[in-house]
Amino acid sequence: MNDIALAVALFLLGNLVITLLAAARGPTAADRMLMALLFGSTGSGILVLLAVAMSIPALVDVALVLALLAAIGGVAFAKRAWQEDGHD
Amino acid sequence: MTDLIMPWISGTLLIVGAFFYAAGTLGLLRFPDVYSRLHALAKADNLGLGFVLLGLALQAESIAVGLKLLLIWPLALAASAGVSYAIARRADSLGVKPWCKDSP
Amino acid sequence: MSLIRILWLRVLLFACLWWILAEGRLDGWLLGGVAVIAATWTSVALWPPPAHGVRLTALPGFLAFFFANSVRGGWQVALMALRGRRALQPAFLELPLNLPAGAPRILLINVLGLMPGTVGIELTGDRLRLHVLHQDLPVVAEARALERRIAALFGATT
Repeated sequence: MNDIALAVALFLLGNLVITLLAAARGPTAADRMLMALLFGSTGSGILVLLAVAMSIPALVDVALVLALLAAIGGVAFAKRAWQEDGHD
Repeated sequence: MTDLIMPWISGTLLIVGAFFYAAGTLGLLRFPDVYSRLHALAKADNLGLGFVLLGLALQAESIAVGLKLLLIWPLALAASAGVSYAIARRADSLGVKPWCKDSP
Repeated sequence: MSLIRILWLRVLLFACLWWILAEGRLDGWLLGGVAVIAATWTSVALWPPPAHGVRLTALPGFLAFFFANSVRGGWQVALMALRGRRALQPAFLELPLNLPAGAPRILLINVLGLMPGTVGIELTGDRLRLHVLHQDLPVVAEARALERRIAALFGATT
């Protein structure tokens, strides 16, 4: 079980590196913003898997805080877009 | 009985999660414009996270620890929903045209 | 729903959250009690009770619908990713919304991003512009089904 968790964590890390390289390349600014999405989903996935694989339960709290901050950031992003809607 | 089967279910869920993450990455690399790439990331990656969290929660030592793991999911969903909407709207207002099959 | 009942529900919700965050340990409940009261007070200040109450009886049905469709949405986009860009035929779509403004609409737009084939782009007035992965997908019917679920959740009429 822990071996699977570790393997999946490493696999996700590989995924994250590939997607970061692809997203950073662009071509538009909106593509680069996709990285904000990646850190929310892949980042917290890697953290919880490592928490179990390495028996460091505190990493679950780190993942929770990361997801919470990503959620607040997401709401703030959307709210700004929303208010622009009201103006034009 | 459950002690025997649970690790299998849990491991399967982790692998299913990894599959959806991989699909998200593949979509990001292969899809032609920012809107379609957004679909791939928002849907596939979040589903991957959901399966991974469920797989780990089934193995958690107590119900509270399991629920704590599952609590991460709605937060990640809220984050991705807000960010996707902002990205899509921004791309649209910047005049990014969606890819069309007929035009090269 | 009376004010007292809403307050108790919120206290209960935050107490459950504390229990989860403390991983079921009992030694932190003094701090936890203060945190629960502070959280309830803040929630009342930021989100006054009468606005858009959620019907708890409609919640399980909505969640089941949501899980089933987000799995379907993820599976569909995964298959498209495997097939590459020839599986796509993207289109923009205008959808007139039937839901009342505020929380129900915000929920609709956010949930649509996880449903099969759709991402919300822009809301102007009562019309929502969507990006659809393939123009032959039955997205309008599915969006209407979602609208009905959300209307039931908030006890609103579409």
